[in-house]
Amino acid sequence: MLSRLEEYLPFGKAPIIILLVTLAAGLFLLFQPVPDNTATMRLWTFARNHAIPYQEATPAFEAKNPGTKLDVQLVHGEAVTSRLRAAFWADLDVPDLVEVEIGRAGSFFRGPVEEVGFIDLLPILRRTGYYDRIVKTRFAPYTNRGRIFGLPHDVHPVMLAYRRDLFEEAGIDVEKLDTWEKFIAAGRRLTVPGKRYMIELSDSNSGHFEMFLFQRDGGYFDIDGNLIMDSETVYETLLFFTPLVAGQQRIASDLGSGRVFTQAVEQGYFLSFVCPDWRSKIAETDIPRMAGKMALMPLPAVAPGGRRTSTWGGTMLGITKACPDPELAWAVAEHMYFNKAELAERFAQTNILPPLKDAWELDAFKEPRPYWSGQPLGALYAGLAEEVPPQYTTPFIETAKAKMSEVISACAAYYRSNGDEGFAQFARTRLDAAAEEVRTYMRRNPY
Amino acid sequence: MNLFRLQYRYAPYIFLAPFALVFLTFSLYPLVKSFVLAFYITNGPKSQVFVGLDNFAFLFGDPAFHTAVWNTCVYAFCSVFLQLPCSLGLALLLNQSMLKGRDFFRFSFFSPHLVGTVFVGVLFSVIFIPKFGLLNRVLHVLFGVAEDTKWLGSPELVMPALVLTSLWMYVGFNMIYFLAALQAVDRELYEAAQVDGAGKVGQFLHITLPSIRPVAVFVIVLSTIGSFQLYELPYIMLNNTSGPDNAGLTVVMYLYQNGFVSGDLGYASTIGWSLTFGVLLISLVQMRLTGTWKKED
Repeated sequence: MLSRLEEYLPFGKAPIIILLVTLAAGLFLLFQPVPDNTATMRLWTFARNHAIPYQEATPAFEAKNPGTKLDVQLVHGEAVTSRLRAAFWADLDVPDLVEVEIGRAGSFFRGPVEEVGFIDLLPILRRTGYYDRIVKTRFAPYTNRGRIFGLPHDVHPVMLAYRRDLFEEAGIDVEKLDTWEKFIAAGRRLTVPGKRYMIELSDSNSGHFEMFLFQRDGGYFDIDGNLIMDSETVYETLLFFTPLVAGQQRIASDLGSGRVFTQAVEQGYFLSFVCPDWRSKIAETDIPRMAGKMALMPLPAVAPGGRRTSTWGGTMLGITKACPDPELAWAVAEHMYFNKAELAERFAQTNILPPLKDAWELDAFKEPRPYWSGQPLGALYAGLAEEVPPQYTTPFIETAKAKMSEVISACAAYYRSNGDEGFAQFARTRLDAAAEEVRTYMRRNPY
Repeated sequence: MNLFRLQYRYAPYIFLAPFALVFLTFSLYPLVKSFVLAFYITNGPKSQVFVGLDNFAFLFGDPAFHTAVWNTCVYAFCSVFLQLPCSLGLALLLNQSMLKGRDFFRFSFFSPHLVGTVFVGVLFSVIFIPKFGLLNRVLHVLFGVAEDTKWLGSPELVMPALVLTSLWMYVGFNMIYFLAALQAVDRELYEAAQVDGAGKVGQFLHITLPSIRPVAVFVIVLSTIGSFQLYELPYIMLNNTSGPDNAGLTVVMYLYQNGFVSGDLGYASTIGWSLTFGVLLISLVQMRLTGTWKKED
C-alpha cells in the first residue's frame, strides 16, 4: 500500500513514517492516565527530619478532619525555594502550606505587600492566643511590614558542644568558662595549630559570625528594616571574631560538614563546636562513637552576667494565598506545630525545641540523654530559649549575608597576612563598603 | 495531479512547523522578552517597573558584577592558555603510531567528560576536602603542604581548584578535536619536510599548526564561550554559594542569583545580554586574531 502511496509522495515514505510515529507518540502521551492526586491539602517541606514526623502525624489529622487528604511532600532545600518562587510567579502548582528556611524567607517578602504569596497569620495568631504562647523573638524573621507571614517551627537556641573527655583530661572546668575571654584563654592553651583547635568556626561565611553578632544584640537589619550591618556592634564583633579564626593566635578552624566534620570531632581536631538544638541530633546520628564523651555548655557571655546563648537557623511554615481553604490549612499548621503529644515525640526524634512554651513542661524535654553525658538536653535548651535574640529580616537579607561573608573572608585573609597592623581600619573600610553596596541594591528597589 | 502539487508546495512548511513552533515559543520569544525585560526592574514576571537604561548603568558600576566578570575571564584565560595546550599536547602524544594502547589512553582521557559536570563537581569537592581529602594528603606527603589547606574555603585557592577540576574534565574532550585534526594532516607534507631537512619543531610550527588551524580556532572559540557560561561546577563545588569573598562568582551564577534568588528577572536579563555581547565581541576578536577571515592565497 505504501508503495502505491509513493507516487503521491514527492518526499518519499520517510516523512510519512516520521509523522505517523510523532502522532502515535503524541496520542500515547495524551491518553496517559493522570496520576491519582486526591489530596485536598499539600504541604512542602525541605527537611527529612520534618517530613517524616509530619507524615506520621498525617493519619491522626485526617481522622480528625474527615474528607481531608493531606499530602506531605519532601522537596529538596534548593528546589523548594526555586519551585515555590516559580509557582508563585506562574500561579501554578502552589502548595497550600510550605516550610521555608529562615535565610530564604525574607526574599519571599519582596514586592508590594499585596503580592507576597503568603497570608498574614497575625490575626489568627492573636485570635487563637498562640501569639502569646510562642517565643516572641521567633516571629521577627518572618515579620514584614507589620504582617507575620510564617509560623516559627523552632527556637534554635545555641549552646557549645564539647568533648567532655578531652576537656576533663586537660583539666578544664567548663563552669568557669562563663565569658568568651576565659574561653579564649583556655583555647589558646589547648589549641595546637594544624592538629587541634578549641572550636569549629568558619573564616569564610557568615554563619558562625552571626551567632556572635546576635548574641551581642547585633544584626543585619533593625526592627524597622533599616540596614545596620555597619553599626558599631557589627564592627566590634568583627574585630573580636577575626583573631579567633585567623592569624597566629587563632583557636578555631573549619573543615566543612558531613563526614569530614565527624572525623574531626572523633579525632579531637575540634574540641568544641557551636551547637544549636538541631545540630545536637546531627552529632548523635553522625558521630555515634562519641556517645557519653560529649556534653553541652551554655555559650560563654560577652561580659560577665551577659546572655549565654544565641541562635542559628530556623524554619517558617507559611500558608499560601493560593490555598482555597486557609482555615483547613491553619488546622494542619496547628496539628503539626502545636499538638503537644506530637511535639514531645518529635523532640525525641529531632532534638528541636518547639517555640510553643507550654510544651517545654512535658517530660520528654527533661529526660537525661546518655549521648550528652546524661544531661537533660531539652531542659538545657529550654532554659536558654527565652533569651534567644531576634533576627530582623527584609527581602535583602540574602544580599546582606553574602556581603558579610565577603567581609569576613577578606578580614580573615588580611589578618592572616598582617595581623593587628592596620586591621581595625581595614575592617571598618570593608564593612562600610559592603553596607554601601547593600544600600545601593535597596535604593534600586522600586517597591 | 493536484494532491501531488499541493504536497510539493506545502510539505516543507508542514514538516518545518513543529521546529518553528518550538523555536518561536522556547527560543525566539524568550530572547525578545528577555531583551525587553532588561529595561525593567521586576519582582517576578507579574510586577515590573520600567527603568530604561538604568539596569545597564547600574551593571557597569556593580562591584559584584565586576568580580564575576573578572573571575570568569580568569577561568576563560586558563581554559584557553592552559587547557588547550594540554589537549594539543595529549593529542600529539596519542597520535604517535608507535605508542602502545593508544585506544585505551584516548578513551581514558576522554572518559571524564562522559560522567557529567555535577558528578565531577561532587567528586572534586571530596578530593579537595581539607585535612582528610586525597589532594591534601598527597600534597602533604610530597611537598609538606598543610593538610588543612582549604581549597574551596580560601579566596585565593578557589579559582585554582575550579581550573584544576575543569582541566581534568575538558582536556580529554578537546583532545579529541585536535586528534581528529592531526589525523587529517597530509603525511606527505611531513615526508617532504623531512627531505628538506626540517626538524620536529619546524614540522610542528610550519606544518602541524597551520594544518589544524581551522579546528584550533573552532576549539578556542568554543572553549571561550563554554568558559563564559561556567555555572554548574562552582555551583556544586561551592555548595550553591559564590565562595569565600566571591572568589567563585561567575557571570552566569550572578545572573541566576539575581533572577531566581532575588527575583529580579530584569537585572538578570541585563546581565545575560551583556554576557552575550561580551562573548560575541571576544569571539570576533579571536577569529580576527587567528586569521579566520583571511583569504587563502
